[in-house]
Amino acid sequence: MIKIKNLCKSFGDNQVLSNITETINQGDKVVVIGPSGSGKSTFLRCLNCMEDPTSGSIIFDGEDLADLRVDINKHRQNIGMVFQQFNLFNNKTVMENITLAPVHLKKMTPAEAKERGIELLQRVGLEDKADVYPSTLSGGQKQRVAIVRALAMNPKVMLFDEPTSALDPEMVGEVLDVMKQLANEGMTMVVVTHEMGFAREVGNRIFFMDEGQITEQGTPEEVFGNPQSPRLKDFLSKVIV
Amino acid sequence: MNFASKFDVFWELFIEQGGWKRVISVGLVNTLLIAVLGLLIGIVLGTLIGAVKVMPKYKLLPKILDKICTVYVGFFRGTPIVVQLLIGYYVLWPLLGITISPLNTSIIIFGLNSAAYVSEIMRGGILSIDPGQMEAGRALGLSYSTTMIKIVIPQAIKNILPTLGNEFIALIKDTSVVSFVAATDLYKTFTEIGNVRYEYFMPYLAMAVMYMVLVFIISCGIKAMERSLRKSDKN
Ligand SMILES: Nc1ncnc2c1ncn2[C@@H]1O[C@H](COP(=O)(O)OP(=O)(O)OP(=O)(O)O)[C@@H](O)[C@H]1O
Ligand SMILES: [Mg+2]
Repeated sequence: MIKIKNLCKSFGDNQVLSNITETINQGDKVVVIGPSGSGKSTFLRCLNCMEDPTSGSIIFDGEDLADLRVDINKHRQNIGMVFQQFNLFNNKTVMENITLAPVHLKKMTPAEAKERGIELLQRVGLEDKADVYPSTLSGGQKQRVAIVRALAMNPKVMLFDEPTSALDPEMVGEVLDVMKQLANEGMTMVVVTHEMGFAREVGNRIFFMDEGQITEQGTPEEVFGNPQSPRLKDFLSKVIV
Repeated sequence: MNFASKFDVFWELFIEQGGWKRVISVGLVNTLLIAVLGLLIGIVLGTLIGAVKVMPKYKLLPKILDKICTVYVGFFRGTPIVVQLLIGYYVLWPLLGITISPLNTSIIIFGLNSAAYVSEIMRGGILSIDPGQMEAGRALGLSYSTTMIKIVIPQAIKNILPTLGNEFIALIKDTSVVSFVAATDLYKTFTEIGNVRYEYFMPYLAMAVMYMVLVFIISCGIKAMERSLRKSDKN
């Protein structure tokens, strides 16, 4: 689904990703873990070129997204992204947030988009919030709407960057539930998170990132049950209580 | 100084002979026309310039546009509005071989002038919007310009509305110089009343009061707008 080849990313002199080569397959639920500053967000953001890779390639749908000549907007329509800070459009209602892109990009008629929006909102239990503005929602509700907004484009893969890190603890569950549901439906997902319970339960592959590289990876059983490197052991001992 | 006789003269010309009608229907209307239409032109053009100013500048075209905008803003902020009016009316139009009425000249020049100021306000407004809004739009596959127009700029405009109100007040006050190109505004119509008896004491006093009332009313409008905006932020 996504083939990452020799991906490098530097901000000025600061090399954040070094030479990552990896394949994400259809239906994978990849969970990316690692210490703060190890490059998890940067890695995720390179996948849809929110950050342009310094070198290397990201092959998606047969095209190299790192190539500046490809129409990145077209490909991003198929790659949903969910942010830590939700980033709902403040000047749009919940329904407008959901329908804006599919309608503007001519993926759906306004009526179709609205119907799909209602259906998705029902799935996350927020159908009564369709006409309110984001500022009236709780963090957990905002994030569920943000997930719905991304899903409304019918993406082939969903990227999540610490979707529950900005939430009050009592709201983490409602967002993780939606993500689990999505995983069960077979969505291909790449999730950066500190929720190790979620990683174990939902992930089929765990990437451990350290200093800009994926230094260890495997099934949750392998990574959590039998970590190899001292760095991973050290990391796990700190996050798992 | 005989205040009573000055007042009598003014009363006779302004009230009894109906001088106020021209002051309102021509002077006040033109002053407002120049300020309102000038501000509208300023907002449209200023938004464009502000948007150019915040564009990422990797490519050549944004770089060139940015330079042009910098020169434009530098010119209009760096020269007196009177000079701009005179250059437009007596230099530029003849050079271009076109005739534009004093009133329209004033509207155009005030529009171009206010665009320079609005562009700076707009730039600040756009930069005050959380970059996450642009990111979310781009991540959905929307283009930079679509996200700018549909998401970022509407929020920026809402944030800068009070500042734009102040720009409007500044414009109203500045319009008092349009008689340099023979446009008829409040100042001009009051001067005409003074010219009848060469008695300017009361006309100019009345003019000052009128500008003050005008600005006071607009300030109240801005305050009311700020209050309702603050309320809608909480909704
Ligand atoms: N836009 C940027 N400009 C410059 N440096 C950046 C930028 N984004 C990230 N970095 C740097 O890249 C490094 C990796 O950042 P990144 O956000 O990818 O880490 P992370 O693993 O997601 O960390 P966290 O768990 O804290 O979110 C950090 O040193 C950071 O300072
Ligand atoms: Mg991060």
